[in-house]
Amino acid sequence: MSVIVAASLTQRFGSEVGLDGVDLDVDAGEHLAVLGDNGAGKTTLLRILATAARPTSGRIEIFGLNATIERRRLRGVIGFVAHAPGLYPALSAAENLEFYCTLQGVDRGRVAEVLELVGLAELAHRPADKLSRGAQQRLAIGRAVLHDPKLLVLDEPDASLDSGGADLLARVMRGRTAVIATHDHALANRLCQRSLMLRRGRVVGVPTRLRVVH
Amino acid sequence: MTKYEKGALAAVAAMVVAAGFIFLYAPTDALQGPVQRIFYIHVSSAIAAYGCFALVLIGGIAYLWKENVAADRLARAAALVGLVFTTITLVMGMIWAKPTWGTYWTWDARLTSTLVLWIIYAGYLMVRRLADPGRQAARFAAVVGIFGFIDVPVVHFSVTWWRTQHPGPVVINDALPPQMLVAFFVTMACTLFLAAVMIAIRYRIELLMDQAAEKVVPAAIAAPNEAGGVR
Amino acid sequence: MRSEWRTRELVPALAQFVVLALVIANFGFQIDSRNAPAIAPGVLWMALVFAGLVAFGRAFAAEREQSSLEAMLMTPASPAAIFAGKALAAALLLVLCEAVLLPALALFFSVPLSLEVVSAVLLATVGMAVLGCLFAAMVARVRARELLLPLLTLPLWIPFIVFGGQAVQVAMGGGGGAGNASGLLIDLDILFVVLTSLVARFVLDD
Repeated sequence: MSVIVAASLTQRFGSEVGLDGVDLDVDAGEHLAVLGDNGAGKTTLLRILATAARPTSGRIEIFGLNATIERRRLRGVIGFVAHAPGLYPALSAAENLEFYCTLQGVDRGRVAEVLELVGLAELAHRPADKLSRGAQQRLAIGRAVLHDPKLLVLDEPDASLDSGGADLLARVMRGRTAVIATHDHALANRLCQRSLMLRRGRVVGVPTRLRVVH
Repeated sequence: MTKYEKGALAAVAAMVVAAGFIFLYAPTDALQGPVQRIFYIHVSSAIAAYGCFALVLIGGIAYLWKENVAADRLARAAALVGLVFTTITLVMGMIWAKPTWGTYWTWDARLTSTLVLWIIYAGYLMVRRLADPGRQAARFAAVVGIFGFIDVPVVHFSVTWWRTQHPGPVVINDALPPQMLVAFFVTMACTLFLAAVMIAIRYRIELLMDQAAEKVVPAAIAAPNEAGGVR
Repeated sequence: MRSEWRTRELVPALAQFVVLALVIANFGFQIDSRNAPAIAPGVLWMALVFAGLVAFGRAFAAEREQSSLEAMLMTPASPAAIFAGKALAAALLLVLCEAVLLPALALFFSVPLSLEVVSAVLLATVGMAVLGCLFAAMVARVRARELLLPLLTLPLWIPFIVFGGQAVQVAMGGGGGAGNASGLLIDLDILFVVLTSLVARFVLDD
């Protein structure tokens, strides 16, 4: 069963093109890696997949729903880890998560679970701006899985993760459909079954099967 | 000659006719003298400006509701033309005010709200230019247009109200003899026609610009591929 | 789904400094005990407007703010609710400014601070906050925001300043007729609160 079906996705910013006719599809439970240099369009694509942005043209369906229209419904089942964490600096790690529990309509008990999952249980009461970049990234990942989403979209989560980050990502992605953008080919190999390469907004080559090495 | 050129010519001809009415047909005002003739253009411009603003509002609402790009284009065109007419209104008003009232400006309801109108138009156009081109610019500008349209009468009302609390200098006297009325209506009709032509021309320009923006891009992307081939 | 304002801890400190600086700077006006009631309202609103513009500009401009806003949108919460939360925070910000400004005004210019003055100011604050919040959110995503924010916000704030100014002036014992300034402020508030909540989702979301 397809989770994401996208055809001819194009994103234009004025006269600049971010994405040009990208097709992709992702099946349930599959992990897809999106590779490419900076400026290739990875973030643009991922934002569209997470319903954070709408394409200028093209079709995209997620869980069978038109992703440009049913955005709020979809957001309840999608978890997005964006390029920037977007955490509240003055609030503690736990408070940040509690706040999002309210927004997601999720029981607060989840907070403790998630903190445990991302390895921040000890730092739960530290203000977010006092956390290291790696810890902040963990918190952002935690926030993305608070509501137990069926689809996880991760934009270069490995960029500032500390050691053990790859394990965390593997844990978090398990059992969910996931699309992850990264520079790190080895990581992609480890976590994903297929990969897609972008250059200048276009898909280069064909989505390749990766050898999954555990 | 394209229809735009014909339209432009017709509009200019109409304005010449209006000028004839203003200078030759309408009598000189007893109190204010020849300066009073500015009034015909001044008020006509004001009406044209408000009319354009109404178009901006309608276009904006239509865009927010249906994402209709043509509506947004119309709003864009009308905003620019409206700004021009608002400027004319303000300038003419100031030229008229100096000999008549002795001062270039006074903070009465009409002048204040017309100034606010100008500021909002300027804000609208700036937002268009500075926001991400395409959807964001159109959305933000539509919001500005909607709030602006509501704000102008509110400001007008608030200043009028304030004046009742603080009685101040006398405002414009509107009574007009029949001949002046005729001249006025002719001028207004001609000015509205001019505004319509200007909007139509501007709309066309915006349409061409939109189309050009869409074409430029694929060409740039295609070129490297042809040269480098698939990797 | 509306809680959000605890996070505004950071900004009030800034706002307080701004307000204090403005009140001190206003010694430029020639003020004595006779014309104080007439001029004080003007000073009040001017200071409030400037403080408001600075505060709103800062509160929304931060890159961090933008990404946290987007993170909030990535939930089933409605953009209107998110906006309401932000507007509440904005209103609180203004109220904090006023809490410093009004006593300072009363102190320096010896004008009475009655319940009417405070209520007039608070009523105006609602509308000003909601409008400032909307346009600050819009302008944050755009270039030249320091110029654009006052350009867009001030024309909309004018009626609030007019009615609020009159209400305050009357309450402080200055000239001018009674008029129903407060009632008009309430009308304005209702109008703009409804409008902004309708329009919020176009400004916040793509």
